Formats: sequence, C-alpha cells, structure tokens
Amino acid sequence: MEYQQSPKFFVRGPSAFARLIMFATLSLLLIASDARFSYLSEVRQSAVSLLSPFQWLANRPVVLYNDFSDFFTSQANLRAEVKRLNSQALVHGAALQELKTLQAENEHLRSLFDASKTTIRPTKMAEIMHLGSDPFTHKVIVNIGADKDVQAGQAVVDAAGILGQVTRVYPHTSEVTLLTDHDLSIPVQVERSGLRAIAFGSGRDYGVNLPYLPANVDIKVGDRLVTSGIDGVYPKGLGVAKVASVKVSAGSPFATIVALPIAGAQNFRQVLLLDLDHKTAVNEEVSKVREEEQLSKISKGNNNNKGVKKNAGH
Amino acid sequence: MPVIKRRMIYASLLMALVLQLFPWSGWGLYLRPDFVLLALLFWMLRAPQYCNIGLAWFAGLAIDLASGSLFGQNALAYAITAFFAVVYQRRLILFTDLQQTSYVFLLLLINQFTLFLLKLFAGAESPGYYYFLSCISSILLWHFVIVRLFSPRGRH
Repeated sequence: MEYQQSPKFFVRGPSAFARLIMFATLSLLLIASDARFSYLSEVRQSAVSLLSPFQWLANRPVVLYNDFSDFFTSQANLRAEVKRLNSQALVHGAALQELKTLQAENEHLRSLFDASKTTIRPTKMAEIMHLGSDPFTHKVIVNIGADKDVQAGQAVVDAAGILGQVTRVYPHTSEVTLLTDHDLSIPVQVERSGLRAIAFGSGRDYGVNLPYLPANVDIKVGDRLVTSGIDGVYPKGLGVAKVASVKVSAGSPFATIVALPIAGAQNFRQVLLLDLDHKTAVNEEVSKVREEEQLSKISKGNNNNKGVKKNAGH
Repeated sequence: MPVIKRRMIYASLLMALVLQLFPWSGWGLYLRPDFVLLALLFWMLRAPQYCNIGLAWFAGLAIDLASGSLFGQNALAYAITAFFAVVYQRRLILFTDLQQTSYVFLLLLINQFTLFLLKLFAGAESPGYYYFLSCISSILLWHFVIVRLFSPRGRH
C-alpha cells in the first residue's frame, strides 16, 4: 500500500486489529498491575483530582435542587420539625443524665477489675457527595479526604449504625465501601445471645450474609447484630444489621442467614468517620507483654527472650 | 457533509462524561444510558480519522477512574467495542437508520457483556439480569434523540 501513493481518504494509520491488540494488551497489563500490586494508587489520585471539576459539575444539579427545596420548606414543616427535635432532645437529655451516672459507675467497676478503659474515639463529620457509579460495587463518595487526615480503614457510621469502611482516600474526597459490598466483611455479635459471627456483604440485593454457622444455630428473624469490637477497627456495640431470614436445608450443614443493614446510605447524608484506634485491647496486651519482657530481661539477663515475640507486630 | 472539528468531538465527549458522572443511584444506575460510549460510536461512524480505538480506550480509562473500578476494565471493553465499530465503519455509513441502530445495539451488548465478564473475573458479584437494561435505554437514546438531533447528514 505504501508504494502506491494512495489518496488521503484511504490512509488510516495502523490497522484496526493492530490497534485493538495494542490497547487490549495495555489494559490487561493495567488491570493486572492494579489488581495485584498497588503501584497505581498515586497515579489514580492525581488523575482523580483532574476529573474532580467534572464531578463537581455533574453534582451541581442535585446540590442546587437540595438547596432549592431547603429554601422553600414551608413554615408548617419547620415547626413540626422543631417540635419533634425538642421532644427528642428532652428524651435524649434524660437518657444522657442516666448515661453519665452509668459511665462513672462503669469506670469505677472497670478500675476495680483492672480492665482496660474503653475510650471514646475522636470522629470526623462528613457528607455523602454521591453514590458510586458502578452497579457492581456498593460504594459512596464522601466530601473529606487526605486534606482532613482521613485514612483508609476508618469505620464510617451514621445515626443508626455502621455504614462501612473507608477504602480509598483521594486529596479532597474519599471512597467508602458499604457493608453490602461483596468485598467487605465485619465481625458481629448477636445482641440477644452474644454469639459471634462474621457478616459478609452479599454484593447484591442490599443485604449481608452470615455463612459458616451450623444449622442449629441460635439466631432468629429480627435479631439485632452489633459489632463485636474484637477487630480493632469498629468499636464495640454499634448496630450493624437485623436478621431478615434464616433458612435451613437438609442438604447443607450450614444455615443460610441473611440480614439487612440498619444504617442506610440512602437515608442520611451526614456520616461520622471514626478515627482508627491504636489503643485496642490487642495492642495493649502486646505492649503489656513487651514491658514484662523488658523487665524480665533486666532482672534475669538474656537467657529467656523468646516465646512472646510472636505477639508483636500489631 | 459539514466539517467535523476535533474540538467538537472532545467537547461532546466531555459533556457525555459529565452526564455519566451525574449522581445516578438505585434503578437510575441500572437505567443509565452509556453516554460516553454513545458519543464515541457517534463520532466513530462519522469521523473515524479523529475518533478511533485509542480515543475510546482513553475515555474508558476516565470512566474507570471516576467509578473507582480496576484500571483498564472499561478501557478494554470500550476498545473491543470500538474495534467492531471501526472495522465495519465504511459499510455502516451506507446502512439505513434502522440497520445502523440494530448494529449499534449489538455493539452496546458486546460492551456490556465484556465488562460483565471482566468484573466477574475480578471477583465481583453479578448484579443480576437488569444490569443489561442500560443497553436498552442507551439504544432508545441513540435512535430517538442522538441520531435525530445531531446527525450531520440530515433526515431523508
């Protein structure tokens, strides 16, 4: 073709098939490197900030609509809401007073038992900007990121309970994976019986599964699942889900248990990001063991310094 | 045939990207037409010298970034779809509108199916059959809006 001086109309550069092979190879390489290694996280961060003006523009109509409807709320609505909030504040105030005395009592009892103090973690307020735009994953984007010291792994809660976990942090936004996502699992405890289990996101129909529990397990429909707090990511006792169905089949040694999350990304726009707690029970135990090790080293010399080393590294 | 400028192509692609990034949720997400792919196909049929597999690949990469999925998934799906569009481009422009629409529908299905396979290989859970609803909304948008409003060869 080259020696014939073909007219411009026919010159199209490399053939379509050659281009396809080239770009397909390139994207397969990208997929493999992104899935297996995290080389590309910096590239992704800078590229996301390039895209952010478009994201801002796309969110404008929704933001404007919200502002508009806020502005034109009727007086009756506002008065009803004030009334509701006032009565709620009254109820909460009474409960809070009770809580204070209980907290003091609890602390006293814990000091008697020499147990570790439960600390209230600092939190950050964030707002959900938009839900993720991929039907395969259950993710939301919130409006604070690396600029406000958000870290991957932080737990995200709303007024009702656990929403999910921060998985990616961008300069000004961060990505929260919801409980219902296929890749997220969370250690839970049945509130009624204290039974521990792990809830896995089902990835579809907005539920979580509790697999690997025996068919005769003591879980009923309507049981509340709360966080067990043994993972060090989620604090203890926060609501996670409510059991929606328990099925036992003769062919399987395990029960099929489906629970629906209590918190909902659809219901609230404000969420709280709990700071990662470095003072977890496990870490305290490790540091205690290390101190003892140090002391024994000083007193006995260097003849027994093994055995506790496997606890380190948390 | 009016002159097609490169700037016009990029502007329309960016507009499509903004529409795609609009916070769709719930059923809206399943019914969301693939604006970017429609824009790409529109230009691939009319200006293959400017809009080719490479541009489709980069557009797919932008979608990957925006949706937080693995780098290159959408890019690969778009590249494969673009290949089938470009290979038959010279025949396609001679087709009637209805024939063109049915071929574009086939391309949209190819795109969705490739993406579906890639996501499943990467370990995602299948979102169900209604995932393919987006093809139908896309083709409706193509046939009743895009071709009627923007077609440079006019109606006949």
